[in-house]
Amino acid sequence: MTGKPKVAICWLGGCGGCDEAVVDLNEVLLTVADAVDIVLWPIALDFKYDHVKAMADGEITLSIINGNVRNSEQEEVAKLLRKKSQIVLAFGACACFGGTPGMANFRSKEDIFNWVYKDAPTVNNPNGVFPQPVSNVDKKELTLPAFHESVKSLNQVIDVDYYLPGCPPPTDLIAHAVTATLENKLPMKGSSLAPHKALCDSCPRNSTKPQKIKLTEIKRIHEIEAKPDICFLAQGVLCMGIATRDGCGHNCIDINLPCRGCFGPVEGVRDAGIKMISTLAAIIDAETDKDIEKITEQIIDMAGYNFRFSLPSSMFGSLKNPE
Amino acid sequence: MNKPKIVCFSCKFSWGYLADESKLAAEISNWIPIICAGKIDAEYLVDAFLHGADGVLILGCPEGDCHYQDGTIETKKRLALLRQALAVYNIEPERIRLVLARDPEGKDIPGHIEEMAKAIGRLGKIKTAKA
Repeated sequence: MTGKPKVAICWLGGCGGCDEAVVDLNEVLLTVADAVDIVLWPIALDFKYDHVKAMADGEITLSIINGNVRNSEQEEVAKLLRKKSQIVLAFGACACFGGTPGMANFRSKEDIFNWVYKDAPTVNNPNGVFPQPVSNVDKKELTLPAFHESVKSLNQVIDVDYYLPGCPPPTDLIAHAVTATLENKLPMKGSSLAPHKALCDSCPRNSTKPQKIKLTEIKRIHEIEAKPDICFLAQGVLCMGIATRDGCGHNCIDINLPCRGCFGPVEGVRDAGIKMISTLAAIIDAETDKDIEKITEQIIDMAGYNFRFSLPSSMFGSLKNPE
Repeated sequence: MNKPKIVCFSCKFSWGYLADESKLAAEISNWIPIICAGKIDAEYLVDAFLHGADGVLILGCPEGDCHYQDGTIETKKRLALLRQALAVYNIEPERIRLVLARDPEGKDIPGHIEEMAKAIGRLGKIKTAKA
C-alpha cells in the first residue's frame, strides 16, 4: 500500500470516448498517475471487479464513472463503486443525463429487441436464436446481463456527488475536477464542475447575434452552407447553445456545427430540452397561425433534437414511465 | 376512466378579474390564475402532465387583445412546438387546449373545464408507450 488516494475509472453504458478523453490529458495524466493509485480502469488496466469487491467500504477516494445504466451488470458495477468510494463523479453526458443512447427511451424495450434480433432488414436469424439472461450449455449455467426496461442516468441508480458533463468532457475541466478532488477544493455536493452560464455566453459567434433573433425559416445544417463566423440561430439553423451549459470549449461551433446540447441544462434549469422549446418559440417570427405552422413544420424530430443527450434525466423523459 | 384531471391556467387580464379569486379557486380544482398566457412556460405544461393531469386548459385574452401585445401569439408558438415534441410519446395535441375569450366574472371557467374533460374522457388516459 502506498498511502496515495485511490481512484477508479469505469465505463458503464458508454462508447469509450470518455475514457479516451482521460487519456487525452497527456502529460497531465502522468502527474495524476504519480499522485494517485488507480485501482480500476477496465479500458486501460487489468484490474478486476473482484479487486474492488475485496476493498473496504469508502477505501476509494474518487470513482470517475462514465456511461449510463441499461443492464444489470452496469447497475451492479455502479452500486459496487458507490459502496467502495468516498466521492462519485458522473463523468460525461451519458452518466450525467443518459446521453445519446438515452434516446432509446423513445422506444419500448420490446421494440428495440424485436428490431435488433428480428425485424431490421439486415438481420439473418432463420432459427430464431435470441439471447437469454440464463442458458445451459454442457451442464453449465451461462448468464448474460439482463436488459433493463429503460436507459438511466447514473444518479437514477446511485447517489452521485459531482457531475462533469460533455460528450466527452474537455481535458481542462477533467484536470480541474481531479485536482480539485485531490486538493479537497470541491464545491457543494451535487454541483456540476463546469461553468454556470449558457454556451452563448462564451461563443465566439456571440457578437454576430442580432439584438432580436427572428426565425422565419428553419434549416438543418446540411441544407445550407453555414457561414463559419455567424451565429447559427441568425442563419436559421437550430443551435442548442442558447439552452446548454457552457464549458465544452466550442468544439462543435469551431468546426461549423451547431451546439447539440451535450453539456445539459444551465445552472438552475431542470430540463434543457423543454427550455429550448420555450426559447425557440420566442425567436420564431410569426404573426399568424399559418406562419407558425409553416415554420414549426420545418423542424424534423423536435423531441430527438431537444433531448438528444438528456432524455432519461429530463422531465420530458419522465412522461414515459415504464417501470 | 375516472373523471379526467384538467389543470387550467387563466390570464388574469381577461378571466375572473372581477370575481372573488379565493372563492372561485375553492370552486375550481387545479385552477391557476396567471398574469398573461404568454408567461406559461412549456415546463409548466409538462409538469402538469407529470403531476397526473390528463389535459391542460389555457384561457388567454381574445385574439389581438393581449395586454402585453404578443402574449397570445407567444403562447401559440410554444404550444405548436410542445405538441410536436409530445407526439413522440403519442400524447395527443388535444390534451392541450387554448381558449381565447374574455370572462371578467370567471363564470364560464368551470364550463370550459367540463367541456374539455368530456373531450379528454373520450381519449382516455395518456398512453405513453410508443407503438
